[in-house]
Amino acid sequence: MNKIDWEEVARRIDARTLPIIYMHDVHRYYIVGDIVVKALDGVSVKIYKGDFTAIMGPSGSGKSTLMNLVGCLDTPTSGKILIDGEDTRGLNETELAYIRNRKIGFVFQQFNLLGKINALENVMTPLLYCGGISLRERRERAEQALEKVGLADRMKHLPNELSGGQKQRVAIARALVTRPSIILADEPTGALDTKTGEQIMELFYSLNSEGNTIVVVTHNDEIGNACPNQIRIRDGKREA
Amino acid sequence: MVVQNIKLALGSMKGGKMRTVLSLLGIIIGVASVVTILTLGNSASGSITSSITSSGYDLIYLSPMSGTKTRETFDEFFAEKLRKNVDGIGQVMPTVSSSANLRNGSITTRTSIVGVNSNYASMVDYNESYGKWFGVEDNIFKRQVVVLGSDVAEKLFPGGNAVGNYITIYRDQGKKYLVVAVMEEKDASLGSSFNSTVYIPYNTYTQRFQRVSGVGTYVIKVAENHDPKVVNNDAQKYLDELVGSDNYMMISSASLAEMVSSVTGTLSVFLAAIGGISLLVGGIGIMNIMLVSVAERTKEIGIRKALGASPRVIRGQFLTEAITLTSFGGVVGIALGIGLSKMVANIAGWGFSVSVDACLLSVGFSMAIGIFFGMYPAAKAAKMDPIDSLNYE
Repeated sequence: MNKIDWEEVARRIDARTLPIIYMHDVHRYYIVGDIVVKALDGVSVKIYKGDFTAIMGPSGSGKSTLMNLVGCLDTPTSGKILIDGEDTRGLNETELAYIRNRKIGFVFQQFNLLGKINALENVMTPLLYCGGISLRERRERAEQALEKVGLADRMKHLPNELSGGQKQRVAIARALVTRPSIILADEPTGALDTKTGEQIMELFYSLNSEGNTIVVVTHNDEIGNACPNQIRIRDGKREA
Repeated sequence: MVVQNIKLALGSMKGGKMRTVLSLLGIIIGVASVVTILTLGNSASGSITSSITSSGYDLIYLSPMSGTKTRETFDEFFAEKLRKNVDGIGQVMPTVSSSANLRNGSITTRTSIVGVNSNYASMVDYNESYGKWFGVEDNIFKRQVVVLGSDVAEKLFPGGNAVGNYITIYRDQGKKYLVVAVMEEKDASLGSSFNSTVYIPYNTYTQRFQRVSGVGTYVIKVAENHDPKVVNNDAQKYLDELVGSDNYMMISSASLAEMVSSVTGTLSVFLAAIGGISLLVGGIGIMNIMLVSVAERTKEIGIRKALGASPRVIRGQFLTEAITLTSFGGVVGIALGIGLSKMVANIAGWGFSVSVDACLLSVGFSMAIGIFFGMYPAAKAAKMDPIDSLNYE
């Protein structure tokens, strides 16, 4: 009989029981003039490793605020957020930047590539901020990521030499390259035509089937409903 | 990371070439002027000093003020008295001078005529071109021999050899003098314009020309291993007591060189300060362009922050850009300054030596300007809110 590796067992249990995104009773208020805007008003969310979740809601519902909190671009007014076990409450800018770099891979509606450097260099950029990774390794990992999204032949192109779909693939490669805990996509198909949008969603499905945790933020029901899990937000609260 | 940042900085400089050059103009002009000023200051004071000291750094010239009684004190025993009372004096040679008309055949000219001893030439480091300087016996026997400066020789004997010929020197009446030597050219120094002077033995002069007794100028040579400046000061002290400070005039290469270098030094500092001010103004230009750059690249800053760049990293990026920018300006300014000062030095005929200190100072200073004036824009970039800057269009 094989010896039982209890540490491995514990890790597997953890992975199943500890959500990769854990939000409990999260509030995020903004003060605009004399008015307090309750962008999020007591939201709790659990997303597990390997999930493919859509955060849905009309514009102004608070889903962008939710995304910013999950992406560690923002911190809550009150409530608890754990990203891959890390409590983001009370973290300073530098510590938040560290979590964004190691645990989050962003994909934006407008791609947000850096215009003056080529696709490969764009994908290498997040690795630069990890520190201590050699140029050679950065290049290799970026090349692998670009191959994975099917852009091995476009590495030396500048962003403005690429189509919308290709740009979004570069952005996805850039999100993948740090091997993050979560890929966080904000309206990833919003700037693309339907067919290209479907291809991008296909890419997300295939990345998910390889074990990546994916969160797509969208107001598009068609895209959202096609995802295995949905979280609906309206007026700063979760809809049942 | 630093390499990456410099690459980024160079990229953004290349992206807006015109803007880069314009914003760097202040720095370039500032550095160029500092380098030019200090380099030219070096060259000019070097060439002035070398002309002052051409007849020897260790010479002091002493003469009585005209119209004073000093002339009586400076009698034939004075040289010995001076040597005894002031430490460090090697030789003291009395000289007398006036001007006279000279004639060779139909050619006449007016020059200054100086009565000196036989060792004058070696004392002031003055060499014969032809012939030989008169000897001790010429002086003792008051012989009518003359040594010509190069210009005088050329004037009286155009294209020919003067040595062995006679010229006439007029003072009341003309007397014939044998030319024994023609001297090499020598730069004028401390009021002695060697090339347009003729020299005769001291005793010949006093017999033929002098109506009143007394010495014109003493040429004092400082003894070896003594500092000319110290000897100069000691002699001054002694003379102040003896005849009063207003009644004699003393100049020395050492004190003059010191004065000149202190004047050019002050001038250099003053001009370098002007250069410094233009560097400062240039720095404000840099701050301006960096603030524009930060504002323009708000979106880029947002993206980089989303990808995990910490505030420190963003600050480093923009600070590196500012330093790269100003260092580039510094290097261009140095090249310009060296070119400019070489041009001026060529025109003015000065020796040219690049002031390495000035170059290092300028580069250091322009980098410091980069840091100082880049700090605020970089801090501004680092402090930007990631969400706002991401949504910036």
